Amino acid sequence: MVNPQFFIVGAGPAGLCAGIAAAEQGVSVLIVDEGFMPGGQLPKQTHKFFGHKGFFASVRGFDIAHQLVERAEKAGVEIRLETSVAGIYEDCIALWDRKKDHVWESKPERILIATGASERFIPFENNLLVGIYGAGAVQTLMNQYGVLPGKDFLIVGSGNIGLIVGYQLVQAGARVKAIVDIASKIGGYEVHSRKIERLGIPILLNHTIVKAIGKQKVRGAVIAPVNDQWKPITSESRELFVDSICLAVGLQPSVELAAQSGSAIEYIPALGGYIPVRDPQMRTTIPTVFVAGDISSIEEASTAMMEGFIAGFQVAQDLTGTDMQAKMSNMRDELTALRRGPFSSKVREGLGHFGIHFPSGGYRTETQTETGPFDTMKALIECPQCIPCNPCETSCPTKAIEVGGNLNGIPWVNYEACTGCGICAMICPGLAIFMVQKKGDKAVIGIPYELLPLPEKEDVVFVQDRKGQVLGEATVIRVMKNEKEKTHLVFIEVPIEWADTVRSVQVPEQKKNDYICRCEEVTVEEIERAIDMGYTDYEELRRYLRIGMGPCGGRVCRAQTLQILSSKLEIPIAELEPGTFRAPSIPLPFRAIRRGETDE
Amino acid sequence: MNDPQVVIIGGGITGTAIAYHLAKLGAKRVTVIEKDYLSSGSTGRCGGGIRQQWSSPYNVRLAMKSVEHFTRFREEMDMDIEYYQGGYLLLSFDEEEATQFEENVRMQREEGLKVEILSSKEVSQKYPYIRTEGLKMATFCKTDGHANPHKATFGYANAGKKLGVAIHTHTNAEQVDVQSGSVKGVHTTRGYFPADIVINAAGPWSKEVGQLAGIDLPTESYRHQIFVTEALDYFFPFMAISFSGNFYMRQAMHGQFIMGKGDADEVPGINRNVTYRFAKEMAIKMVKVFPFLENLRILRHWSGEYNMSPDAQPVIGESPQLKGYYYSVGYSGHGFMIAPAVAEGLAHIIMNGSSPFLDLAPLNTHRFRGKTQREKNVV
Repeated sequence: MVNPQFFIVGAGPAGLCAGIAAAEQGVSVLIVDEGFMPGGQLPKQTHKFFGHKGFFASVRGFDIAHQLVERAEKAGVEIRLETSVAGIYEDCIALWDRKKDHVWESKPERILIATGASERFIPFENNLLVGIYGAGAVQTLMNQYGVLPGKDFLIVGSGNIGLIVGYQLVQAGARVKAIVDIASKIGGYEVHSRKIERLGIPILLNHTIVKAIGKQKVRGAVIAPVNDQWKPITSESRELFVDSICLAVGLQPSVELAAQSGSAIEYIPALGGYIPVRDPQMRTTIPTVFVAGDISSIEEASTAMMEGFIAGFQVAQDLTGTDMQAKMSNMRDELTALRRGPFSSKVREGLGHFGIHFPSGGYRTETQTETGPFDTMKALIECPQCIPCNPCETSCPTKAIEVGGNLNGIPWVNYEACTGCGICAMICPGLAIFMVQKKGDKAVIGIPYELLPLPEKEDVVFVQDRKGQVLGEATVIRVMKNEKEKTHLVFIEVPIEWADTVRSVQVPEQKKNDYICRCEEVTVEEIERAIDMGYTDYEELRRYLRIGMGPCGGRVCRAQTLQILSSKLEIPIAELEPGTFRAPSIPLPFRAIRRGETDE
Repeated sequence: MNDPQVVIIGGGITGTAIAYHLAKLGAKRVTVIEKDYLSSGSTGRCGGGIRQQWSSPYNVRLAMKSVEHFTRFREEMDMDIEYYQGGYLLLSFDEEEATQFEENVRMQREEGLKVEILSSKEVSQKYPYIRTEGLKMATFCKTDGHANPHKATFGYANAGKKLGVAIHTHTNAEQVDVQSGSVKGVHTTRGYFPADIVINAAGPWSKEVGQLAGIDLPTESYRHQIFVTEALDYFFPFMAISFSGNFYMRQAMHGQFIMGKGDADEVPGINRNVTYRFAKEMAIKMVKVFPFLENLRILRHWSGEYNMSPDAQPVIGESPQLKGYYYSVGYSGHGFMIAPAVAEGLAHIIMNGSSPFLDLAPLNTHRFRGKTQREKNVV
């Protein structure tokens, strides 16, 4: 199908939803996408989304992509991947199928351009070095390809993307040395920044990157505070030892195709830059061309989906004559709810330029000051900003949580109704709900936990405050595993004076399974401990720990073990005995040996 | 001697056990020098078996004494050496040997050892995974067992260190300093160590270390090969050994099968290479008796030395020619299993002039002047 009624560029949340909306009304729909996987940015998003239950709140991005693709395919939408739109020409759309290396011409009746956005970059010395990535590239490599692009990161930008990528990097096993932001306040949601800070990652405001260090590859970064003209104060600069720099400094709408189509564009900084002019139904100044998603304002995946639906409904109405007003108005109500809060003020302002107005307010802005009593287990919500999100309210089995007003309100707990079940804490996308019980001189704190390894009952863990400062040790008394959403609750018992400060746990290094010898399952920690005990030769370690005694014969672990020995003993590897290299170099079956004999 | 300055040459089971027992008896100036790393010689290469079923009453006694040490090792040394008394099953495929075994068992029982005699049929009923074709009979002693030789060496070394023993690895003895018929010290690659007593516990290098003091010891080292398979679930708790069949095999706690045999045509000397011929001969021989091995793979194959004496018995005591020069060598392939008892005895002789538990006199070199009785129960 190269000549569908409705042609959509981009299989992200906006494009998929527009396709669903139209195809479910019988319109033939083709979606093309440059990527090899549908879903746009969604497959890279391993965090739970905000919003409400009807719109995928608390569902992880890649799961949303699965659900949307499934629904689109069921509705008959055709999705062509690895296909680029070479141009929207006067006579047709030229499509380059990169797999077949074949250009198709398409002449649809309606076009939706849902090309999303591209990442902004900033100039600094040496910014072409290998090891400098946009946040999207880091997410693609890490979450889609399963490749961790570096070990030690500096992140530039404290918007939601920078914060989320920082958290995901830690989940993937990397270290984030710092997040810097030239602004004087954190750009993203506070629940995201708190997640980062309690891991011990500093967020340095009024700071910027001055320079990347390295010849071929990043070996470090120089950061500096900025003055009130946003110029770096070089005398106060300092060096961070990192091998990767992740830039999360914002997005700009990808308007090229919309402009080619003849649609008018306008420069509206509040919406992210050049934006196609459009009406409330997402129609551009060319009546057959629509836009939806980040191309029409840099926002969230949820608003992109809603805009996509609205565009799709309008196209269906154009082409089939069916009255879609009710569905469109429903979707506009959804958008209105989402855009009421303070984080949408720029979008509201920007859309005003097109004469499209969204109301604000109508929600609670005060945080709950009276909490408790905590004589039995209760939920404690630390969600101080008005963000459009309410799964805590809708998941509570006893209706003890209420966000107040609309989606954007600050949640309060009715402590008489709260039974301390922990469901809200496991569902909260911001990991902002803690379980607390105070009894005598002890307190039990339940902490949402999404890292590996998951501690187990009776493990001793380090406990950290909201800034990641380690206060001491505590014993895990219970773990509530959440196999579905993967946000587990780790309950620890701490002295009562830590009840209001402990908000994170850190699994001590030895719990981590950094295997050196994979055949015999010997970890770094075991090797280091054995060296401390006096096993200071490779052969001694081998015999004591069974390193290299498995099927690989040491091929995998010998060099790494010598490296650990070398660094612990401060003796160059060249001066260490490398141990014996023994035959057979591959496990040799008795049967084969016997056959070799009898055939002779 | 009240507080002798002792230098032990060799950091295997023998050297570290002697050091530990000396320190335990109050010696404060004990040093072990090891040219490589601990257990790098025969100890770390051996099969790890601990057997009491010997053909001479003296050896049975020695071995039973050692089993007492192994039994309390964990408690005394605070180290798990994977010691397990799963027994030794001695398989005889030879009529004459079978008759000898019956005599041995009579003697072993007199020494207080509990040993069973099993007919070929009983073996096949009890251990259906053993093919008994050609088997004449077997004997089984369930207090025999095995342990991890490397860990045992470290156990002694660490316990010794706590009592003040100094251990210098990567330190090679170059000359024993002898003045007017007595030892005075040892020159090494890491300097000079003064000594009232020097103990040759050099295992495969016993002859060479003897020569450093001008002592000619009747020992020679022969290569023995051994290999280990990948792991199976643990089901084979005993050491299976046959002198007439020329093999031994056990399953380690980790599940791998460790096995070896003797090679008649080895020449004396240190040779740590391995031969494919050995793997081939073993594969053919072992699958005949243990058909389940057919599906296993050989993981690692290595070799070590039997430091042989003319009668396959250790050579232990003070040199008649050189005052202060002791040796504890020539263990002929069973050093690991008897070292603990011998070490304790030798430590008593050094510290107190005689050993209260064990008469070591029969093991000194004077026995080679007359006709010697060779130990038969050796692979």
